[in-house]
Amino acid sequence: MTFALTISPSDLLLLLPEILLTFWLCLILIIDFSFPRLRNEQLAYFSIAGLVATLGCLVWFDVADITGALFGNMFVLDGMALFFKIFIVGSTILVVLASIDFIHRFKFFRGEFYFLVVMSALGMMFMASANDLLSVFVALEFSTLGLYVLVSYLRDDMASNEAGVKFFILGIFAAALLAYGISLVYGETGKLVFSDMTSAQATPGLAIGFLLIFAALGFKIGAVPFHSWIPDTYHGSPTPVTAFLSIAPKGAAFAILLRMFFVSLATFKPVWILLLVATSVLSMTYGNIVAIAQKNMKRLLAYSGIAQIGNVLIGLATGTKMGSDAMLFYLLTYLFANLGAFAVVIAVSEAIGSDEIDDYSGLGRRSPFLAFSMLIFLLSLAGVPPLAGFIGKLYIFVAAVKEGLYLLITVGLINVVISMYYYLIVVKKMYVTEPHDRSPLKVSGSMKAVVYVCLAGTLAIGIYPQPVTDWVVSAVMMFSHLADPTASLPVPPAVVPFGG
Amino acid sequence: MLEELASAFPILTCILFLPVIGAAVLWLFDDEDMVKTSALTIALLELALSIFVLLRFIPDSAAMQFSEHVPWIPALGISYHLAVDGISVLFVGLTAFLTVLIVIYSWDTVRHQMKLYMMALLALETTTMGVFLSIDLILFFVFWELMLIPSYFLIKLWGGGAERHYAALKFVLYTLLGSVFMLVGIALLDINFHQWATLRHMERTYSFDLLELLSVPIPLGQQILIFWLLFLGFAFKAPVFPFHTWLADALLEGPIGMAVVLGGLKLGTFGFIRFSIPLLPDASKSQTVVAVTMALGLAAILYGAIMALIQQDFRRLLAFSSISHLGFVVVGLFALNYQGLQGSLLTMINLGFSTAGLFFIAGFLHSRQQSTQLGAFGGMAKQTPLLASFFLFIGLASIGLPGTNGFVGEFLILLGTFKANWLYGGIAVTGVIFSAAYFLWYYERSMLGPLGKAVKNTISDLHFREILIASALSVMILWIGLYPSPFLRMINGSVQALVDRLERGTVASIDSKPLITVD
Repeated sequence: MTFALTISPSDLLLLLPEILLTFWLCLILIIDFSFPRLRNEQLAYFSIAGLVATLGCLVWFDVADITGALFGNMFVLDGMALFFKIFIVGSTILVVLASIDFIHRFKFFRGEFYFLVVMSALGMMFMASANDLLSVFVALEFSTLGLYVLVSYLRDDMASNEAGVKFFILGIFAAALLAYGISLVYGETGKLVFSDMTSAQATPGLAIGFLLIFAALGFKIGAVPFHSWIPDTYHGSPTPVTAFLSIAPKGAAFAILLRMFFVSLATFKPVWILLLVATSVLSMTYGNIVAIAQKNMKRLLAYSGIAQIGNVLIGLATGTKMGSDAMLFYLLTYLFANLGAFAVVIAVSEAIGSDEIDDYSGLGRRSPFLAFSMLIFLLSLAGVPPLAGFIGKLYIFVAAVKEGLYLLITVGLINVVISMYYYLIVVKKMYVTEPHDRSPLKVSGSMKAVVYVCLAGTLAIGIYPQPVTDWVVSAVMMFSHLADPTASLPVPPAVVPFGG
Repeated sequence: MLEELASAFPILTCILFLPVIGAAVLWLFDDEDMVKTSALTIALLELALSIFVLLRFIPDSAAMQFSEHVPWIPALGISYHLAVDGISVLFVGLTAFLTVLIVIYSWDTVRHQMKLYMMALLALETTTMGVFLSIDLILFFVFWELMLIPSYFLIKLWGGGAERHYAALKFVLYTLLGSVFMLVGIALLDINFHQWATLRHMERTYSFDLLELLSVPIPLGQQILIFWLLFLGFAFKAPVFPFHTWLADALLEGPIGMAVVLGGLKLGTFGFIRFSIPLLPDASKSQTVVAVTMALGLAAILYGAIMALIQQDFRRLLAFSSISHLGFVVVGLFALNYQGLQGSLLTMINLGFSTAGLFFIAGFLHSRQQSTQLGAFGGMAKQTPLLASFFLFIGLASIGLPGTNGFVGEFLILLGTFKANWLYGGIAVTGVIFSAAYFLWYYERSMLGPLGKAVKNTISDLHFREILIASALSVMILWIGLYPSPFLRMINGSVQALVDRLERGTVASIDSKPLITVD
């Protein structure tokens, strides 16, 4: 195997967003060192400026349809990669904006916080483009490195330290699994690029190798049975980091899972479909049932997140083009609803210093804006029309019905009812229970901006999803050969003898 | 394929969104009187629009009228498609009519957060209208689910009972459980359309549109599966026995306004006649389906009536009498003949006047005695003659006395049922006797005889607003009872089309012989 690393300026153009963000990363660090008296907001807005520029660049690529592959197919830029990059950068912008109020809780290294967030985002952008097992490993570890530090950023807080240690140990374990899986797959096939493995022979080594890789990625997305780090880590982390963890790495990991299952393993669909069905059923059921008993809002959102990931896995289990459309769409609705919910959690904990669900009592009177936003986000997560979450669930379920995955749909739908129960508990607290303290809550401008963006996204995608469906359908055009079974049915004669 | 008459002016969209926009406008007002007046104005405006539609509606026609069709999510074949036909047009008028009455009733009976109450009520009106007007199944589902949100808050925040939190949650979860199964059924319909359209190289291969789905031949096995999935959704909402357990709680604990909507607007059974029977005629005719639905319907008639007989609380009695009446509707529907369908449809409308009327009466009683328990009443007819007369009149309508609307509907149902099967008819008739028994017995104990201990001498009779509500309902009851033909003419065309479709089945509904069977 030889590498011919020739890079032309036009190739570098494909890397423009990453290069731009890398420069910006260095600038953030330099500015933070050179101007120690700089206020935190200013650094935050500076980071956001860089992220927005990157986002603009990505959108330009998407509109102008600039695609290609680099470094012997290790790095690809296609519609799907662009979708996930926009997804990651978009969520990072919102997270940075939401963290401005939170940052005063950190005693040290406030400036580095932004550096680490943006660095992780950069790693995830590489994950979205990774088309080769080696680049998967490097990008994944690169992005996780920043997260290890971010999770334990509240140095004096025991919970945050515990979260960090748990995340670190299990993360390293997952990395080891990934490395071992990659070595097995490479040993069996001699190939590393996803698209080269399509004709691989099914051997036990290959199966174990891919299972290990799936386990490592399952750890990233937090699917049951690889979820054990999620509740404590989400609970202990600084809330903006929790919000970040719950969205961006999931998107990046799903990009890799899509390439792995839909490209490399497309021919083995009858085998892996069972694996995914089982993971999805377990995630949805476990997440929703355990969420009922939660007393803390962050833990509730952690378990509901596990269940939501189970829903996304339904799309993966279909193994069709429509399934992948639905996954992308669902992730986007999840981004707005989940980030919005976390933004409200941050705003509330800023004002009252607690994340306990009991302390949300009477939020409807104390801050009608936050309570109403939370209501919308929770209802969208539960899948109530006409919010974005409903269209997402509908899309996923239609794709699954088409593949005849009735078990998944039944379990998924029963879980919708269960999830409604615990979301309504929160709603009840906010609107019915009398508050201990009636003083109105103050919400800062930046928090309001995040909540407004998420509200707008949740409502707009629900009421007029057409532009988004068009986008996701074109983003995963690469899977259009994975059509549904009806296409292979005998085609009637071209002249249809009865009126159409 | 049904004919469609598009309208030049999007009047149905106006009807659909006027209340919710009105609710948003209410948010701006702070003065309580201003809020009430505006809410009433909006409700009256909505009623005026609905009456306009009823007047311009072409009777004796099966056509979908005032149709509006705009693509909404073309990638999934979902469209914004509104229309009324004989099946739905009367419900639109009924919803607008009842909302006006509820606003009037709530004038001084809602004690806190008046603005929010009116907003929730108007939002509920929009979602209910949406259920009746939607032709696209997903659009229908959207409104069907959205109904839960204002209902949840109405029961929870303005309910009178101590168990209202439990009742609200139970209501939402039960209905949600049913509707998720319904969603699978809807998705299966879409998949059938997809396969059919793909084989015929049609341009659009996904559709949730009722009118387009009507032309898809669906194999019987699939039809039966979809039928039961939809059945669960509609049966939980209706509620059909044995899915009824939430109803008594919601009606007892919720505010009167909510009870009027839940008891008066028969959304679940509307779902059967709007979607299940036309889309799945072969399944609806199949032996098991008819046997099971008939058995459930008859069981509901008897169970509801017997349970109503032993209730001490008037609202609980009404809940069980609703279950009994719904049994009649279901039996009439699955008699699957002209009289049965026509009678069921008319009975659904009738219940909107009589059952809803009795809930208003329950509200009148409650605002006088702070209870609807039997122990709180007794011999009230002497003190409150007007209340007692309206109570008797509306009650007799609900048990189907000749001359009232209830008689016309029940008679048609029984006629249809006897035509279909004399045994079913025979069982259903006993329900009529029971219903007379439970109502008259309760009436005697509460209104007649010596004055009850709990009743004060100073108890007041109906005041102006209450008289207005009761007499508006009485006028409608008498009108339909004595001269039903304008109403029957409106529904005849669609019922006839439905009967024709039932006879032909889906496969034959294609103009020429089917070439492809899809399974």
